[in-house]
Amino acid sequence: MIYNTGIIFSWISFVLLVILFFNKKEIYTEILVRLNLFVQVFLFCLLEIGLFLNDFSISYIANYSAESTPPLYKFASLWGSLDGSILLWNLCLSFFMYLYLKSYKDLSSDIDIKIFSLIMIFFVGYTVFSSSPFAGCIELAAVGCNNASLLPFQELVTSNIGRGPNPLLQNHPLMAIHPPMLYIGYVGMTMPFVAATSRLYSKKQNANDWIEVAEKTTYIPWLFLTIGITLGAAWSYEVLGWGGYWAWDPVENVSFIPWLLATAFLHSAKIQKSQNTLLNWNYILVGLMFLSTIFGTFVTRSGVLISVHAFSNGNIGTYLLFGMILFGIIFIVIGSKNVEYFSNSKKIDNWFGKAGFFVYNNIFLFSSALVIFIGTIFPLIYETLYDRQITIGRSYYDILVGPLLVILLGLMIFSNKLTIKNLNINKWFKENMILINSSLAISILTLLTFDNSYILVVTVAASFMLILITVDNLFKNFRKSKINKTYWTGQIAHLGIAIFAFGIILNVSQSYSTEKEINSFEEFTFNNQTYFVYDSIEESFPEKNVIKLPISNQNTTKFTSLNIFNNSSQQAISSPAVFRTFKNDVYITVKFIDENSYKLIVRNNYGIFIMWIGLFVSSISFVPRLSKNEK
Amino acid sequence: MKNRYLTLLLLVLLFTLPSLFPDNESRYEQWSKSLLCPVCQGETIYDSPSEYADDMGAILLEQINKGLTDDQIYTFWVSRYGERIITNPINRNLEILFIPLTLVFGFVLLFVRKLYVKK
Repeated sequence: MIYNTGIIFSWISFVLLVILFFNKKEIYTEILVRLNLFVQVFLFCLLEIGLFLNDFSISYIANYSAESTPPLYKFASLWGSLDGSILLWNLCLSFFMYLYLKSYKDLSSDIDIKIFSLIMIFFVGYTVFSSSPFAGCIELAAVGCNNASLLPFQELVTSNIGRGPNPLLQNHPLMAIHPPMLYIGYVGMTMPFVAATSRLYSKKQNANDWIEVAEKTTYIPWLFLTIGITLGAAWSYEVLGWGGYWAWDPVENVSFIPWLLATAFLHSAKIQKSQNTLLNWNYILVGLMFLSTIFGTFVTRSGVLISVHAFSNGNIGTYLLFGMILFGIIFIVIGSKNVEYFSNSKKIDNWFGKAGFFVYNNIFLFSSALVIFIGTIFPLIYETLYDRQITIGRSYYDILVGPLLVILLGLMIFSNKLTIKNLNINKWFKENMILINSSLAISILTLLTFDNSYILVVTVAASFMLILITVDNLFKNFRKSKINKTYWTGQIAHLGIAIFAFGIILNVSQSYSTEKEINSFEEFTFNNQTYFVYDSIEESFPEKNVIKLPISNQNTTKFTSLNIFNNSSQQAISSPAVFRTFKNDVYITVKFIDENSYKLIVRNNYGIFIMWIGLFVSSISFVPRLSKNEK
Repeated sequence: MKNRYLTLLLLVLLFTLPSLFPDNESRYEQWSKSLLCPVCQGETIYDSPSEYADDMGAILLEQINKGLTDDQIYTFWVSRYGERIITNPINRNLEILFIPLTLVFGFVLLFVRKLYVKK
């Protein structure tokens, strides 16, 4: 039932989009967009119903859900693997198409909806022709389904139990939030792409309107991407017990690349609006933002790279590659039609004025994205060229990206009071002398207790300077209504990044770990604190067995646990016990349990709480924007 | 003017900190952070909680305690697992730094040239 309806409605959505693409009458546009949104919402609900009814005649449900899966993770299983996540992708895309139509549509032409529908045809096409989450199971595997059919009205076979989701994905409620946030961020990048290409395609006198729309439509996905990446980092650190929040893993990298590009664009768009410069560059950025999200999906889903996030492949790799080429060509053709318009782009007069600083910002943000991109694909290239496999690890990014980000931090110090004319550095010094001196003094005092290196010293001094100058500015000027609200969005985001930078540099430079072998009811000392280990407790759930180990330190007891999942051949997942203070976390995970003796990994992680505060501050930077309309 | 001298003094103080309180990473830490755990999907043996990584770490510790040189340790691991075991190939294959640096440099040059006005 669900299988037939799902397949048929996928087709309906596809046909609606094709009609939308060829439609010439304006009155039908809105109806078609609404209908498409309705169908996508329906498909989403339908698959959820299938998941909750344990309809194992559907291959996707048999393979990625199980009867014993708890409700929340059943719900989240919809995006637990490739086919379902494309369904969520399509839902987001049709929602954004509706939003675009309502708020950002170019009223003089309908080329934007055509480009939008073309992009959507591409993604819906995948579920119709290649691999659908509604495909019915026609051949059983030992557990789950082995072979599925995309055609409706087939004779189906039903497996008795489902295989269940990947254990990593049913360990914490964040699974229900982190991926959709990232998806909204990724998919939303379609809006600026459509805005830019369509408005430049139908080139009018007032051709600069594309930048306004592109900027507005970038902010929403940028915000979601920020939150999505933050939640991912928090999840991996607080729950999965990997000990880290960021591993420069290929999949993390490809979510960071669009973020860096979008951040660059949000800055350079401002300069184009006020000084009519960087026209061509902004167009390139918008294109790269969109293409990098498809590239990101390609990397995650094609299985070309090894990663903790990558899930099974299929033929989507080639399909997405084809899409990248197709949209790349559209982008280049429309760009080359506008060479004349782009040549109006003004050059920069004041290299130490606002435009100059924004150019440096773009240079360093784009360079970071470039370096990360190369680092991500380097192993592939190297293997092709030399037939040797190499691994690009943390040190590559530490050496190449680290300094770029520190320079960006330094640049932000000047961001509170940029004028079009060149910055008078003497005057700037005089005005901020007290703040500069006090931040240097605070840095020295703070650093006295740590092991130092030059990068640490520079980063800490820069972040303190940025924090003091921004906070001072906020206190003095926030109430002034003359100042544009988006200015405060920027300042708050910078403040958050400064706090974050301080936290992360402490974490990277100061943290250390050790292993302890210990029995029940014994204690160990770490970092001048005593920790007492109790006896382990076993708990059974339908989907997993959990071994919990209580550990106490000064009247607080926390649990570190090993989760062993049924229906899974993967290794057990350990969750950490985290004893948190403002400065550092003592982070304990179980490595090994044997009767009542345990092997524990004990880490002293500095700066984590400070990092979370910073990221939180950056995430709420949108608040001043909300009040913008009231003025 | 006094303030300026103070700034200068503070800066000098700040930059002597790294030599006063240096960060000493043990050789074991350095090496375990650069050896990939081959069964753990992209984690180093320093990060990975798996038993495999544990065993590798034990061998590594033994090598370091015996006083093997970096070259000897490198040869040992690469001969067994291939070059991909080293996540920090920068000391060996310089092109890994050279290629991105050239590209970034080229990009900056092109970008600035396009925007620069000759006076």
